[in-house]
Amino acid sequence: MALRIGVDSGGTFTDVCLFDEETGKLDIWKVPSTPDDPSRGISNGVSEGLATVGSTAAHVAFLGHGTTVATNALIELKGVETGLITTDGFRDLLEIGRQKRPSLYDMNAEKPEILVSRDRRQEVPERLKSDGSTDRSLDEEKLRAAIHKLADEDVKAIAVCFLYGFLNTAHERRVVEILREEMPDVFVSASHEVAPEFREYERMSTTVVNAYLGPVMQRYIDRLKLRLTELGVPVAPQLTQSNGGVIGFDTAAQLPVRTVLSGPSTGVVAAQAVGGMAGFDNIITFDVGGTSSDVALLQGGVCKLTGEANVHGYPIKAPMLDIHTVGAGGGSIAFVDSGGLLKVGPRSAGADPGPVCYGRGNTEATVTDANIVLQTLNPVEILGGRMKVRRDLAIEAVQRLADQLGLGLMETAQGIISVVTANMAKAIRLISVQRGHDPRDYALMAFGGAGPLHAARLAKELDMSRIIVPLTPGTLCALGLLLTDLRSDFAISRLMKVDQNAVEPMISGFETLEAQAEAWFEQEGIEPGRRVVNRTADMRYVGQNYELQVSVPAGTVGGDTLQALVKGFEQAHLQRFGFIAEGEAIQIVTLRLEAAGIVNKAQFTPRPDAGPACDAAVIGSRQVYMDEAKDFLPCPVYAREKLKPGNRIDGPAVVEQMDTTTVILPDMQATVDPYLNLILETRA
Amino acid sequence: MTKIDPITVEVIGSALTSIVEEMGEALVRASYSTNIKERRDCSTALFDRHGNTLCQAEHIPMHLGSFIGIIPHINKRYAAKDIKPGDVFIGNDAYEGGATHLPDIVLAEPIFHGDTMVGWAVNTAHHADFADRGHAHIYQEGLRIPPVRLYREGELQQDLQDMFLLNCQVPHERLSDLRAQMSANRLCVQRMQDLCTKYGADKVLAAGDALQDYAERKMRAGIAAIPDGTYSFTDYFDSNQFSDVMELKVDITVKGDAMHLAFDAPPQVPAGLNVIYTALLATSYYAVKAVIDPTILPNAGLSRPISVEAPHGSLLNCRHPAAVDGRIAACQRVADLVQGALAKALPGKVTAAGNGACTGALFTGTREDGSLWVYLETIGGGGGARPTADGLSGVHVHMTNTSNLPVEALELEYPLTLLRYELVNGSAGAGTWRGGMGLRRVYRIEADCRFSVEGGRLAVYPWGLEGGLQATGSHFDFGNGQQNLPGTVQLRAGQIVELVTPGGGGYGSPSGRSLEAIRRDIKEERITPEFAERVYGHGAEQKIYRAATA
Repeated sequence: MALRIGVDSGGTFTDVCLFDEETGKLDIWKVPSTPDDPSRGISNGVSEGLATVGSTAAHVAFLGHGTTVATNALIELKGVETGLITTDGFRDLLEIGRQKRPSLYDMNAEKPEILVSRDRRQEVPERLKSDGSTDRSLDEEKLRAAIHKLADEDVKAIAVCFLYGFLNTAHERRVVEILREEMPDVFVSASHEVAPEFREYERMSTTVVNAYLGPVMQRYIDRLKLRLTELGVPVAPQLTQSNGGVIGFDTAAQLPVRTVLSGPSTGVVAAQAVGGMAGFDNIITFDVGGTSSDVALLQGGVCKLTGEANVHGYPIKAPMLDIHTVGAGGGSIAFVDSGGLLKVGPRSAGADPGPVCYGRGNTEATVTDANIVLQTLNPVEILGGRMKVRRDLAIEAVQRLADQLGLGLMETAQGIISVVTANMAKAIRLISVQRGHDPRDYALMAFGGAGPLHAARLAKELDMSRIIVPLTPGTLCALGLLLTDLRSDFAISRLMKVDQNAVEPMISGFETLEAQAEAWFEQEGIEPGRRVVNRTADMRYVGQNYELQVSVPAGTVGGDTLQALVKGFEQAHLQRFGFIAEGEAIQIVTLRLEAAGIVNKAQFTPRPDAGPACDAAVIGSRQVYMDEAKDFLPCPVYAREKLKPGNRIDGPAVVEQMDTTTVILPDMQATVDPYLNLILETRA
Repeated sequence: MTKIDPITVEVIGSALTSIVEEMGEALVRASYSTNIKERRDCSTALFDRHGNTLCQAEHIPMHLGSFIGIIPHINKRYAAKDIKPGDVFIGNDAYEGGATHLPDIVLAEPIFHGDTMVGWAVNTAHHADFADRGHAHIYQEGLRIPPVRLYREGELQQDLQDMFLLNCQVPHERLSDLRAQMSANRLCVQRMQDLCTKYGADKVLAAGDALQDYAERKMRAGIAAIPDGTYSFTDYFDSNQFSDVMELKVDITVKGDAMHLAFDAPPQVPAGLNVIYTALLATSYYAVKAVIDPTILPNAGLSRPISVEAPHGSLLNCRHPAAVDGRIAACQRVADLVQGALAKALPGKVTAAGNGACTGALFTGTREDGSLWVYLETIGGGGGARPTADGLSGVHVHMTNTSNLPVEALELEYPLTLLRYELVNGSAGAGTWRGGMGLRRVYRIEADCRFSVEGGRLAVYPWGLEGGLQATGSHFDFGNGQQNLPGTVQLRAGQIVELVTPGGGGYGSPSGRSLEAIRRDIKEERITPEFAERVYGHGAEQKIYRAATA
């Protein structure tokens, strides 16, 4: 018996997915999270999960986990006392940022909290030029004085970021050496190691966030390691990063900034795998939780990486799956504003007090309340019967809005759904239409607690004709951990025009990256046969400032490579901006290398077709309000766990399972595929 | 008229916002010139058939002034039947083109759904060109373009483009930026047509009307909450480009749910500081909205309850041929005026004066191959202290919100080295809440070039509110013993230029500031212990400041 375990440690629950490699059986276990020390919840979940499937820790062949430790420490500003060492004249860069105010019109809006106070931002005489040469050499005496000041302040981490530190690493490296001598216990984060890329503010911000989170991550990892060892787990555990891959603990402890968006990323990885099984390559993922929705686009089964994102106000340069978040979820509050329009979110009732129907004191109608009023959600109890709901309270709350709007109750409840759907559609347009993709060419993969509930309306809004609801929508992130590879990304900024002169620097640039990847493969103990690398280049027309990522063909870089790059770039530019600037010089800005260590993944086996009839899965029926009829329609209610491959359900209908409810609209039908995914399509 | 429910209005409104945001992203990402691609000095909007703003992306409030002028000028020049799908109008003139100064080049393309015109795609980008010019009158400031067709039914008018480019100092960038502007409008046309197909053009148009009514209702609701009366404020406008300090006044009269702003200003001046009426309108709308309700949709509806007047031929409502290039400086003061007056009407809702400048530095030179380079940057400063928080440091305020250029991009593209970029210690106005800090930029010139700097608040500094103190002002040091020079000067390689911008005013009496905040400011070197003693200190507490720095 060999078990692969994925653990998703969330704010409320810790989900554990256990996959038996021999039998192909998948089990899910949920335990409450322990936010004061998340490692306890993880350890509890794993040991309870093992007990339920009748196994022991000795059988664990893989353990991957997703954590919000770094993200939460950043949001809640619970990182460590941090110092910064930077070029003389530039300590305020961290505070000035790009000199923009956070809101155009709202003068009370705040910039995000600056993670290093001004007195801990130490300037050191040194200066490099834009070609990497030295304008002013590093003053080591002043440097030591600066370090002593930071030592007196008792900082626990120090970020080092010099202008052009990505081009010439000598000064930053020297600072790191001296820091090791002077403050051997301090966590050091140097910009050339964390984000060796062009644009000083974003690089500095990333380096500082990494320093700020470093010791927090280290502490967490140490605790978790200990607990898992105590449990007797024989394998080295892995941790997810924002790029959707997993990584060993040691690397994660050095680069915590690469995990700040790891939460939603494994959901996307799982969606990719589920889509592959179900035969869909082009997918838009739709992960709806209580306060927000995450959406991502997978073209040809691949979600693009983005090199930079803004995380809670902090620009971060790190490889991340291109996931877009919008403040629209089940708990989003609906209100009528002073101009008389119905608005939904971004304010949320959260998990506590939660929607009005929970009866815990909230009186402002939420999206969930609208669903209770419409009876798309079970109006008596939800979460598989674990929680009773008060439809009467939800009706009162929605009625108050209806009175303000001068509309009927049901019209208003449906209106809340329409408005929140429009917000979600906006997020999807941003990742599809705005990037040159037509959502009609994509299937919508709905998961998270409320994704399958809203997917049909959203698909209609965007004219998407297919929806996939995976078997376990509420625990897809944990499942994703069983389906992902070890992965690390390496980048180096090298500005050069695409001509024959680029060949040499490209070869040497990629050699550097390949050497880094080799070292990483060794560190992670990945066998040579399981190593995969993929090279890309960020390119733009000379003079532009935003780059497009283009794939670099395998093999030694030569004239053919350049031609392929130009062609790839022009295609990408045409798709994104609608034109090719003939005759304009093209430039490479950053070379990237994605390294993956292929691991054994959970393999799912198809199940035999049981035919379309599924009356046996019907557990009841209820009246559900459907906008199409402007009235309640009788809908059969199906139990998800009783559905078998080949089963066919004609809308209108509702499918319930413990962690979600799927709505099938009147003109839709749903079929169950051999992997028990539910596929919704518009009825011909 | 098609009747439409509030939910459909919200749903279509969401789609319209998506469209202008997408235009903005496309414009920034596909453009070439530093000023657009990095500093994002551009804006995008969607207009209805009648030329009313339907939706504007949140970029630069000043640009609304260019937008609200152009469609009326097009309609004045061309009969509706002569405006065809694929026509693209270009314009930049303050007097005949609806723009507010010549570098803001506007492209407007009508949107047709079938045979019906359903709106206009409009964007403007500040082309960093027409540099090193005089500003005695507008004819010195660059090429004046009334709204004319750059494209006729989709076909480029090469003759016109050639003539335009020959008048530009960096034609290569201009051409590339125009392409980016074209592609942004094209996207808008396409998306709007899709929207009309999906919902029906009638519904989309009705939603557009309803959205304007909605913004109007919100604005009226906000104004109605202000007690009726007339609220007056006086402030002073100075600039290194003009020797006099000018007194500017506003009387804001609130009556029911309507507001009238009557400005008074001295006669227009022979410098590029004059404000065209549409720029005054855009500024007034911005300032009123920011105080009353920042969430009101930026469309034409919000302006319906607001009327604005200023003497024709004055600094704030100039007539041909007054020069207008640096109009934003006076517009910043207009925003200060409106805020100062509304602070009396709505105590506790308005911030102290921000840096009140839009300090602009313009470098031009010749490259080795003989081509010209032009580099423009605008530098932020302190934001005004808020009624419940310190002001933001090193930000743009009011009419602009452009990014800085990364040092690593600046030095790669231009023969300049930035030696310092920092907050100015002691620049913030003291108060219970202090203002934000101003900025200092120190440049080392690496190759001979021409240079001009434009800024205000050199003589009269940003004011505090409710007992808060004023901030410090601007200062420009040319590194050769000369300071605050007007016009364009020659700089030599090795010369060092230092530009300092104002801080923001304080809010509430300094005596109300917490000891903890004062100590932190001292420890962080934002103020000196001596300053703390002088401004905040009283009696025994002085010891604490000394102890904090001992």
